[in-house]
Amino acid sequence: MSELKATFLDRQDMFWQSIWEHLQLSIISLLIAILIAVPLGLLLTRTKKIAEPIITITAILQTIPSLAILAFLIPIVGIGFKPAIYALSAYALLPILRNTYTGINEVDRALIEAAKGMGMSSFRRLARVELPLAMPVIMAGIRTSMVLIVGTATIAALIGAGGLGELILLGINRGGDIPLILLGAIPAALLAIALDNILRLFERTSAKSGFRSLATILVASLLIVTIPFVINGDDQADLVIGGKLGAEPEILMNMYKVLIEEETDLTVETKPNFGKTDYVFEALKGGDLDVYPEFTGTVITTLLGEQANSNVKQEVYEQARDGIKEAENMVLLEPMEYNNTYAVATTQEVAKQYGLESIGDLKVAEDKVTAGFTLEFNDRYDGYVGMQEEYGLDLTVKTMEPGVRQTAIKEGDVQVIDAYATAGYMVAYNLKVLEDPENIFPPYQGAPLVKQSTLDQYPEIGDVLNQLGGKITKQQMQEMNYKVDFEDEDAYQVARNFLKDNGFID
Amino acid sequence: MIEFEKVQKKFPDGTEAVKQISFRVEKGEFLTLIGPSGCGKTTSMKMINRLIEPTSGLIKINDKDIKEYNIHELRWNIGYVLQEIALFPHMTIEENIAVVPEMKKWKKKDLEKRTDELMEMVGLDPNTYKSRKPSELSGGQQQRVGVIRALAADPDIILMDEPFSALDPISREQLQSDIQKLQQEIQKTIVFVTHDIDEALALGDRVCLMNEGEVVQISTPQELILNPQTDFVRNFVGERKSPWQTAVDVMVDTTKKHIVQEGTSYPEVGTYIIEGENQKYIGAVQNGEAIDLPPIQNDLHLRRATTVFDEYETSILPVVKNNILVGTLSYRDIVHYLQRQTKLENGVIHQ
Repeated sequence: MSELKATFLDRQDMFWQSIWEHLQLSIISLLIAILIAVPLGLLLTRTKKIAEPIITITAILQTIPSLAILAFLIPIVGIGFKPAIYALSAYALLPILRNTYTGINEVDRALIEAAKGMGMSSFRRLARVELPLAMPVIMAGIRTSMVLIVGTATIAALIGAGGLGELILLGINRGGDIPLILLGAIPAALLAIALDNILRLFERTSAKSGFRSLATILVASLLIVTIPFVINGDDQADLVIGGKLGAEPEILMNMYKVLIEEETDLTVETKPNFGKTDYVFEALKGGDLDVYPEFTGTVITTLLGEQANSNVKQEVYEQARDGIKEAENMVLLEPMEYNNTYAVATTQEVAKQYGLESIGDLKVAEDKVTAGFTLEFNDRYDGYVGMQEEYGLDLTVKTMEPGVRQTAIKEGDVQVIDAYATAGYMVAYNLKVLEDPENIFPPYQGAPLVKQSTLDQYPEIGDVLNQLGGKITKQQMQEMNYKVDFEDEDAYQVARNFLKDNGFID
Repeated sequence: MIEFEKVQKKFPDGTEAVKQISFRVEKGEFLTLIGPSGCGKTTSMKMINRLIEPTSGLIKINDKDIKEYNIHELRWNIGYVLQEIALFPHMTIEENIAVVPEMKKWKKKDLEKRTDELMEMVGLDPNTYKSRKPSELSGGQQQRVGVIRALAADPDIILMDEPFSALDPISREQLQSDIQKLQQEIQKTIVFVTHDIDEALALGDRVCLMNEGEVVQISTPQELILNPQTDFVRNFVGERKSPWQTAVDVMVDTTKKHIVQEGTSYPEVGTYIIEGENQKYIGAVQNGEAIDLPPIQNDLHLRRATTVFDEYETSILPVVKNNILVGTLSYRDIVHYLQRQTKLENGVIHQ
């Protein structure tokens, strides 16, 4: 509990920001869902033949994992707020649609006949009789959707839409930082309960006022979510720099920001914690981001879908630079010195116990150790597939999220993990990197990836960012990552201090 | 007023609910539609306000095809009372009554006045009940509101679909006599569907008996009982409960044997009923002396009628319908009626 309090005090700004974003996401999505599902539901009660197929479609939407919806949407609508809103709205459609349809259909047939017989038009019947009587049922659907949205909105953080999910993701990425995860999870639950109670109040009055209560909800929530847009509508920065989830991208982003803002007149906004490679890359492609730090190896294997032709850093960089230029008309600027390659790591004790120095040595301990690999590593040639082929290994493998590996090795659940060479936990847990004499891991050097069109518009940023080319050693990067991940230092400050200490800025 | 011309209704599933029926309902007439379930009586009624569209044939109101009216305006001018009562549960009594007048864009003041007037007419205190919800009223009270809701915008025609069948016997009887009194005041054209033959005979100026989608006989209650045109009519009319619950209507002596005109010289011996102008009941004379005899309504049940005989120690009573003297009822008439109703088989009396 005291730990939670400390985490809260430490991250108060981020906390309130996240709650606000979460609320905005939830309410806008709910609003859109209501605006689509209620009229659609009403329409369906008038054209019953197509009702079941339409409801089935929304049911199918509901069965698609929310993460998958996000992935589908990124190429179409980009990243950030918009796709999150679309996905959440699609999710919320079914309960509202179904309850609207059922609610109206379950209005006593005799009342409908009375209304018809008294000469009410179809619309008047709807407004005066059906809607007021169905309102409690419709409201129940809206409440269900709302709880669903508030819960699901935590995944919006994966695509840079913010919200309480950001705290949770960060907590998971830090190897299960429980207070941080709770700081995101508990308020999400409380938010759901609070909103549910507010809607229940509306539900009580809705039978009486029908249309009016629905309209009140719509107007009230519209006000809540649009006011902030009106207040801080025009702080568009010239450049938006993004980055994947984790300390290292966040530090690099801030270095770019500091350098650009110090040496040019441009303003820079940063969007950290963007989830996985695909999300950030699509965002860059779609224009939501202008620059983000990427790795040479990742450009070749993930973005271009090729194999590295060489294990020499410079050649790998050139292959990546030329390939991405041709394929996407993007520029991969000069890479930094350190190589954040995949590494296979183990604890000092295990290494000593089995006499492990290189990856091939694992052969002797094959039956005695369990490996914890990320899904991606497990499936790649420059990963476990290569380890099997080049070193003839056959390990017991458990696949897991990147953030969980470090905890797993710390707790002794696994003895070997795939790791990023520069990661903070390498320092924290004093892990031993096993050598790779067969060179199955290509070099992963960090470099800014930027669209050619952005460079055409702001040619000066090329030179500014190239200053980092060949700089920052593996040890320096490890230390900076450690400071952010394990000593809770601010990424911006860490970046700034480094630039200052090394003479990039005054 | 309302005219059916070869009206036929076939439902999509092939059942022919109504087979080419033709009949007229006169202005101000109270027509009861009756028949066994599935005979097409409700379907026929619902075709008048176009809740059901006929497959072929023509329905006219005031000599104009109902399809030529705007459907909503047509319905505003046809009050509708449902078996299920169907007051809108989310509206107050006042709001329920206001539904049609509001659509007809009545002024608020007129509407308030009308609401009070109607509520008082059916014995509901406006100040007490106006702002209550239907669920706070008893079934009988609810259907009173159902009736005045249909009357609210002063329509020419009122359709009633078994309006009292969901009520308890006491409320039903009360409402039946209320609707008769009401009809005397408002003189609307009423089409009233029922499955209760006593109700049909007691309330209707004419009774339309239907069977299997056809009109079997349409005539006054007396005619129906005295001159049934088919065995079906005879059986159906005979299917009543005890003769004691039958309205006296069918026993009335309409020969005017016991009626004398006002202002003529009255017989010295015997009891006579005096008829005034416009067939009004004026009074009675016994052995040349004026006596006080209350007129009984034609729909009064026989059992209750006999208590009036006892009370006034008379053997003859005047019978009125809508304030018009229709005939007389004597002990002899009652006995004759009971005789007709019972058969003697092997010395055993059957009803």
